[in-house]
Order: sequence, then C-alpha cells, then structure tokens
Amino acid sequence: MRIEVENLTFVYSEKSKSLQYKALDDISLTIEEGDFFGIVGETGSGKSTFVQHINGLIKTQKNCKKFTVGEFDLTDKKCDYKSLRSKVGMVFQYPEYQLFAETVFEDVEFGLKNFFPNLTQEERSEKVKQAIETVGLDFERVKNKSPFEMSGGQKRRVAIAGVIVTRPEVLVLDEPVAGLDPKGKLEFIKLLKRLHNDFVKTIIIVSHDMDLVAENCNKIAVLKKGKIVETGSPKEIFCQKNIVENSGLDLPLTAYLQRELEQNGIKLNSDLTVDNFVEEVKNYYCKIKGGK
Amino acid sequence: MKEFSFGSYYPENSFVHKMDARVKILLSIAYIVAVFLVKNNTWINYLGFVPCLLFVIIVAVVSKIPFIKVVKSIKTIIFFVILSALLQIFFNKSGTPLWKNGFITDKGLYNAGYIFLRIVLVVMGASLLTFTTSPVEIADGIESLLTPLKLIKFPVHEFALVMSIALRFIPTLLDETDRIIKAQTSRGADFNSGNIFKKAKALIPILIPLLISSFRRADELADAMDARCYAGSKNRTKYKKMKLSLRDLIGTLFTALLIVGVCFL
Amino acid sequence: MSIIEVKNVSYTYDKTKFAVKNVSFDVKEGEYVAIIGHNGSGKSTLAKLFNALFVPTNGEIIVDGISTSQKDKLFEIRKKVGVVFQNPDNGIVASIVEDDIAFGPENIGVKREEIGERIDFALKTVGMEKFRYSSPDRLSGGQKQRIAIAGVLALKPKVIVLDESTAMLDPKGRQEILNVVKKLNKEQGVTVIAITHYMDEVLNADKVYVLDEGEIALQGTPREIFKEGAKIKSIGLELPLASFIAEKLRQAGVPVKDGILDKEELKGAICELK
Repeated sequence: MRIEVENLTFVYSEKSKSLQYKALDDISLTIEEGDFFGIVGETGSGKSTFVQHINGLIKTQKNCKKFTVGEFDLTDKKCDYKSLRSKVGMVFQYPEYQLFAETVFEDVEFGLKNFFPNLTQEERSEKVKQAIETVGLDFERVKNKSPFEMSGGQKRRVAIAGVIVTRPEVLVLDEPVAGLDPKGKLEFIKLLKRLHNDFVKTIIIVSHDMDLVAENCNKIAVLKKGKIVETGSPKEIFCQKNIVENSGLDLPLTAYLQRELEQNGIKLNSDLTVDNFVEEVKNYYCKIKGGK
Repeated sequence: MKEFSFGSYYPENSFVHKMDARVKILLSIAYIVAVFLVKNNTWINYLGFVPCLLFVIIVAVVSKIPFIKVVKSIKTIIFFVILSALLQIFFNKSGTPLWKNGFITDKGLYNAGYIFLRIVLVVMGASLLTFTTSPVEIADGIESLLTPLKLIKFPVHEFALVMSIALRFIPTLLDETDRIIKAQTSRGADFNSGNIFKKAKALIPILIPLLISSFRRADELADAMDARCYAGSKNRTKYKKMKLSLRDLIGTLFTALLIVGVCFL
Repeated sequence: MSIIEVKNVSYTYDKTKFAVKNVSFDVKEGEYVAIIGHNGSGKSTLAKLFNALFVPTNGEIIVDGISTSQKDKLFEIRKKVGVVFQNPDNGIVASIVEDDIAFGPENIGVKREEIGERIDFALKTVGMEKFRYSSPDRLSGGQKQRIAIAGVLALKPKVIVLDESTAMLDPKGRQEILNVVKKLNKEQGVTVIAITHYMDEVLNADKVYVLDEGEIALQGTPREIFKEGAKIKSIGLELPLASFIAEKLRQAGVPVKDGILDKEELKGAICELK
C-alpha cells in the first residue's frame, strides 16, 4: 500500500485561541510500498502526530488536500477505519504497557477477534500461533502464561505479536527499541527485518537513534517544528551538514566519520551502513597500500 | 489531552490570585451561605440575588478573569440545572395555576427561577475559587484549615499529601490513558458501539493496563519518596508558609458586605 | 578513602534465586563508577542496596562508616546517598518545581530559610533556575530528570546513584544529564555511581563493573573493559559502535589499532593508515 500525503496541517485544540498549537504544518510526503521508512526529528517536532494519522487514530482536518493509504481515503469521513487498521499495524512506545489479558494467547487474539469476528476457533488459533512464533517465542510454552509474569523483552514481543496477528501490510513503530538493552535492541531489529521480508511490505519507524535509522532505512523524512525539512536516502540526508544540524539531530557515527575523514583528505562514498562503510575503508586501504 | 488543567486554574497576577488560599476557601463558603440565605417567598425576594451577582462580577473583574469564562463554568452542570427547573415547572402543584385548568402554577415558575439562579450563582462563585487558586494552593489551604483535626488524631498531613500527589498525577495518567486507548483502538477495539454492557466490557483492555501501570508508578513513587527520606509528618518542616495580609482583610470585609446586603433584601 | 564498601553482598527476593551474588568492591570518595549489565543482570537491585531501600540478605554495605543494615541509621544513609531513578514522571511528588525540590529537605527537618538556599543551589547546579515556578508536566524528559537530580542534591548527598536515569530520554536529554553528572563529579567532588546498559555512557567513568547474573564478570577502566569484546558479547552486551566498527575493520584486514573507544579515536586510527 502506497501512502500519499499532500498539504497535511494539524492543529491541536483548534477551537481555543489560547491553547491551540500547530503540530503539523503543510506536510507532503509519499511512502512507497516496500519502504523501510524512518521519521526523525527532535521531541515535539510532530513525528508522533504524523504517524498516528496513518491508521486514522488522528483524523485529518479540513484543509488536508490528500491522504491516501492504498485504497483508503483518509480525508473521506466515511473511510472504513476498522478495515484500515487491520492492514496498518501501529506499535506505540513501550507497547508492553498495553497488555491486559489473563493469558498470552488471549492477548494476542484480541485484535483478531475485533477485526475478524467470523473466524472459527481453529483459524484463530492457527493465526495466533503463527504470530507468537514469528516474534520468536515458543507457542506451547507461553500460550497459557500470564503476560505479566514475563520479562520486559518478552512482554514487548507479545505486544508485537498482538499487532501483527492480522498480518498488516504496513507496520508503524514509534520508538520501538526504547528501554531495550543492546542485545534486546539487536534482536528486535532482526525481528523487524524478518517481518519486512515476510508479509509486512512497508515499515515506518519513528526514532531518535540515528545509527539505527542510517543502518536500516532506505528513506528518511526529517521533521522540524511540524514541517518536513527534507526527504531522501540516509546518504542524501546525513551527508548534507546543514540539514542535520538545523534540525537538532545527531549524525550517525558512519556519517560523522565520513565527513571528518573527508576533511583529512580521505574520501569515502559509503551508503552509511556499517558493512558498506567497512568495505569502503578497506578499498581505500588497499588503494594506498597498492600505491606504495 | 496535554492541555487538560484540573479545576481550570487561570493564571493571572491579580489581587484575588494573591490572596491566601485559606481565606479564599472560607470566603467561598461564606458566599455560598449567602446565596442560600436569599429569602424565598415572593418575587421581590429575587432582588436578594442582585448583590450575589454583583459580587461575582466584581470579583471576576478584580481577578482579571474574562466574565464569559465564569459564565461558561456552568456548562458542565447546565443539564442538571435545567432539569431541576423543569421539574419545578411541571410538577409543582402548589400555588395558583397560571391559566384555567393549566398545570403550571405561579409558585412552580417562581421556584424554578429561584432554583436556577441559586445553582448558577453557587457554581459561578465556586469557579472563581478554582480560577484564581491553583490546585496545589487549594490542597495546602485545606490542609492548613484541617489542622485542628490533628487533635482528634485525623492524619491531616497524610491526607493533604495524598491530595497533592493525586493532583500531580492526573495529567500523567490522562496521557497514559490516551496512549492505551489509541493502542487498543489500533488493535480494533471499539468503545462506542453496542449496549451499555458491551461498552463496559470494552473498557477492560484500558482499565487493566491502566491499573497495572498505576501500581507500578505507585511502587516507584514510594521508592523515590523513601530515597528522599520521607517518614511521615514527624519532625517535618514546611518550606511554604501561608501568610495573611491586608489583602485578605479587604476581601473578608467585602464578603461581609455581601452577606449584610443579602440579609437586608 | 572509601565512601562505600560492598562486602560479600548477596540479595534475594524470594529465597530461591539470588539477584545479587557475593559482590564485593569499594568506591572511593570523588570517584565516578559505572555499573553495566543487561536487563535482569541484578544492577537495579544493587542500586537499591546502596541507600538501604533493600538490606543485603548476606554480607554488608558500609556507607561512610555506617552499615546499611543498621535500621536506626536509615536517614543518615539516605542523606548521604541520593538515588535518581529511571522514570522521572514517577519520582516527582509536587506540581511545582520548587515544591518538589523542597520535599527532601522538608522531610529531614531543614529550616525554611535554608530550604530556600538549597533550592537555589540545586536548581543552579542543574541549570534549571528559570523553571523554579513551573509545573513539571510542561517540561521535557531531560528537564524533568534534571529536576529529579536537583531534588536529590537538595539533601546534599556525598554520593549520587543514577539507576538507569537516562534510559527513557531522547539523545538530547541524555546528553543534558550526562553533562550535569560530569560537572557534579568534577567540580563539586560528588561521588557518582552510574548504572546503565549504554556502553558509551561508561566512557566517563574512572572504574567500570560489568554485572552478569548478579555477579561481577569484569572490572577495570573503560579501556581495559572494552578490550574484552568477546566476553562482553557473551554476556549480552555490545561494544560501543566505534569499537564495533574498529573490530570489523580488523576482521576485514584493515590494521587499525587496538582499544578504540569512541569516534574520535576511530577517526584518528583511520587517518593513521596513510
């Protein structure tokens, strides 16, 4: 599902002059099917407000010219949000805090019951099992456990299973690795990549972690004070010094090194992923060694 | 949700804002008593409401609060007010009917207007207290006013601390509720359709996470308070001391004037 | 001089499994110590042992000459050791910044005038003077956490324990906190014990303890610790990205030097290849 947005502006507390606050200001953006899309910007730049539009948690305001997610027209009042939400999964910050059911099975099943009430018990069980196994948990061992007895990392997996159980085509994640330790973080990214190669066609992440974004996203949008500063590949974004600095962001480590090395007369041309960066340094090294 | 402010405190730097919270609480009670003192016999007694209304207007002007805000404060209870007025109009059988065989009596109409004015004036007056006094000040004020209860072993300090912590956590919990509602809505939860039982059942996925997170927060708060040497009211000092000033005397005299006015009309 | 002595300390919640197992070390006055470990390694339990929120099941912790097992000395210990927790939202008790900072001094019976002075000092140290009369709800995560630190400073502690105090913050907020803590340590000589799972946060430390399954798996200066890449990985932690890239370069046959900790050193090492 392709996501197209034209002239999206969003004002909180529109009615009250003293409280109103413009969170999004004339945003136009296209997210292609298949993208691993990163949305970055300082706290308060409007990232969360934007992504919550994608599955209709926040409704578009009048002046929005176009907002489509696949065949769904979000500017249309009659838009079938329920059907939209079964195809666009949303994972909030600290998703483990949304768990509520007595068993892991019931919790994961929740979305399925809501979206597809006509499924048979067997069909449902099968889908729940798949979802739990996809996030890397042992179905037989965890299905009857209370989610509240599990460790933090496992709880987060259960919560993700509860979102992907409907096999959404688009998955939106707000700060997905916040609070995870380094190992948990790496495993989580692996999970996202696995999902992206499987049924999830488009992944959209909101993150403060520039290294993560540079390593995994093929496209990035930089937000500042509700406006889009720039969209492009990690290389296009992070190799232009002024974009990053004007938006109050850090540079990914690879971009920082590449920039600094260039000032020292070493020109590298990596796409900012770690592997490619190492490759480039190796090529450079072979060149100077060959020259000697 | 972020914009929620409990008790609709309206920050200003006015005479009334600077008055002592304890005095303001007592004067608000006095004002409410005054409204209830307005005599209730004939239409001429309606005049008794005039000083009350004047009082509200003057206080609003002195506190630099737009009068329209004060009027709007009745919005939340307007349904209740109109309902009680209508009940009076249609079901009060005493007095004489307004027209032959009519069921609306002059007494009913009189009572309806009387009740309407009374509630509206009480709410407007009370709203002036919350407009000009922050929740924290009100909590501190109540604590101070309740101090004599310590004599009968009432835990005044603990009571006040609970109040102020509750106030402190309201915005945090509202944010959290908002986030959980959104997360469950994304998973297809529907909170608006179905009968009342269905709706109540739909709340479980919100209430349970909220409850669990509140317990977690309470645990962490208890640790944080312990870590900062909290041990109840024993040997505790207080940084903020409430001090009476000339302002409070003027406010009190002004309110006294109101009560005298009401009693004479 | 040692300000904290941890002597053969073990702690168990349920008498079957030990969260902290026979841990011993000393913290010198004015030192900056980092304790690092994955989630569930026992590091947060340890944090609560330093100021007697928990008392060791076995062994003993001595804070400035007082054992934390002495129940009657509880407040003396907590005055000396302040703890800043992970979620600032859950540690702030009042709806106005200055009232919150006053909470600690009020509890220990400090006189009114002095509380005012302590608030001035604490807010100045964390650079939040402008927000004295604000509501904490309106502040960013980093600012809230600075208020939490100020609340601890108002008790004039000798030691500050940061129990994953940066874990919930954005990079800017994290940097704010790290700067404040560094300043406290360097300029005011406050002893710091920083508990974290971010490898790059231990670079400031004089000494690092790596915790695994409740035991100390590694200890030393940051440079000594990061040499043990394989061991660090095996206990569920990761090297800082710069060290990781350096290692990858070496594997690819590019001879960058050993012991690289941060981006500046990595930059230097690549430049040296010429």
